[in-house]
Formats: sequence, structure tokens, C-alpha cells
Amino acid sequence: MTRHKVTLRQEQSGRYVDAELIERIDAALAKRAEDAWQTYVATAKVEALAANRPFPVLEHTHWEWERKVSITERLLPYPTLGIECAGHVQGLMLLETDGHFGQLPTQSGSPLVYVNILATAPWNLPGVTDPPRYRGVGTVLLSAAASMSVELGFKGRLGLHSLPKSEEWYNRLGMTCLGSDPNKQGLKYYEMSPDQAQHLIR
Amino acid sequence: MTKKTMTLNLTDAEMAALEALSVEKDVSKTAILRQALRLYQVVSGRMQQGEKLFLEDVDSKDKKELVVL
Repeated sequence: MTRHKVTLRQEQSGRYVDAELIERIDAALAKRAEDAWQTYVATAKVEALAANRPFPVLEHTHWEWERKVSITERLLPYPTLGIECAGHVQGLMLLETDGHFGQLPTQSGSPLVYVNILATAPWNLPGVTDPPRYRGVGTVLLSAAASMSVELGFKGRLGLHSLPKSEEWYNRLGMTCLGSDPNKQGLKYYEMSPDQAQHLIR
Repeated sequence: MTKKTMTLNLTDAEMAALEALSVEKDVSKTAILRQALRLYQVVSGRMQQGEKLFLEDVDSKDKKELVVL
């Protein structure tokens, strides 16, 4: 695992704090993240119930990070990235570098990096924790994916299928929505062009 | 991504093939070689698990096994 320094915004203090972007996470780190995230969600649900507060439906608690990372950790076409801050895993992402091609009219047929799954820790999600602990986890991860796309010669092109609750966030990042994909349970497909990637990486 | 540098010796024919692929795919020669390595690793891993690699003719559906080192 290779680590690089990045920063996240600590929501409560409003300050930017040091964090580490980790390339090629291993199964042990994925398990640690999964255990901590599941425990946190279970506790937060109980607390919400006791306080008679609504608890949001989480769309990405079933992704089996440890299993996926243990299958892909030595396979070059499936890079993973994680972010650690204050001793906790704040976000994880699994990418695919081969077999995916642009669908934007200007990028049709050109190779891109596909974001298979991206998740931030539940304590960083508004609605689960108020205020969320850290902001910027997803942006740092997606920016790293765009940088990887540049390094692979794909000019920053990215593609992904968004969960419904994340659509607004991908729209805000400037990605282009190309509509629902019947082959992916109707999830909307989003793509980032080289120009959009440069804006994100900057 | 952290990178390491190596010197690669290619014949004229190999370099010509690499340059042609680089132009055709609109990516750098380094990107072509890295892509080839990713593909080779996946294919090799699947073959070690007892799978075979085939090419299929789109029209006739004829299949030919692709033999890989």
C-alpha cells in the first residue's frame, strides 16, 4: 500500500486536517473499515430509534468490501483507493481500468476508468451524523480516480453508475448524466470528460 | 501512483507495432504496455484456474482457442 498526504475538511471545527490517500488497500484494511462502518450504523440506528428520530435508508451498506478487495487486491485492472484520517477509514473506492469506453458523443469509444464502487464512512454522511465528521472524502477519491485515468493515458475520462441519493452530488461535480441504464438496475450512468476531469483535479 | 523506471529493449518491428497501436488507440506507448500487462495478468490468472481463452467470429460463431504463454 502506498500512502499520499491529502486534506479533508473537519466539519465541526471548519478546519482542514491531514489525511492519507492509500493506493491498493489490502483486505485487512477493508475488513477494518467494514467492521467499523457496520458497527457505527447499527449504533446510530439504535440511538435514532431511542430518540424517536428518523434514520435514513443507506444505499451502500451491502458492498462486502473485504470480499471484493481480497478478490481483486493483486489484479492490476482493479485498483483500489482508501482514505484514512484520525485512525479511521473515511472512504473506499474500487476502480476498473479496462473494458469500459466513453459514451459521451465527443468521447465515444475512448477508454475510461470505471468507478465500480465508492463509499464514504457513515459518520461522514449528512442525516446519519449531524454535522458529518469530514467533508471532501468523495471528492478526493474521485479526483484521484481522474488522476489515475490521466496517468493511464485515458485523459481523465471516468464513468460510473450512481446510486439515486448520489446523483445530485455527481451533477454538482459537473459529470454528464447519460440516462438510466437498464443493464444496471436502471441506475443512471454518469461520465466525466477530459475537460471536466481537469477541473476536478485542479 | 508511485512509479518505477526501467529500460525496455525492443526490435524495430516491436517498436513499429507499439507505435502503430499507440496511434490507433490514441494513448502513449507506455499506456499500451501497461494495458497489455493488465490484460496478460488477468488472462494468465484465469488460465491458471483452468479456463481457456477463445476468439469468436461474430457472424459464423466459430470459436478458436487463443494460446497464451
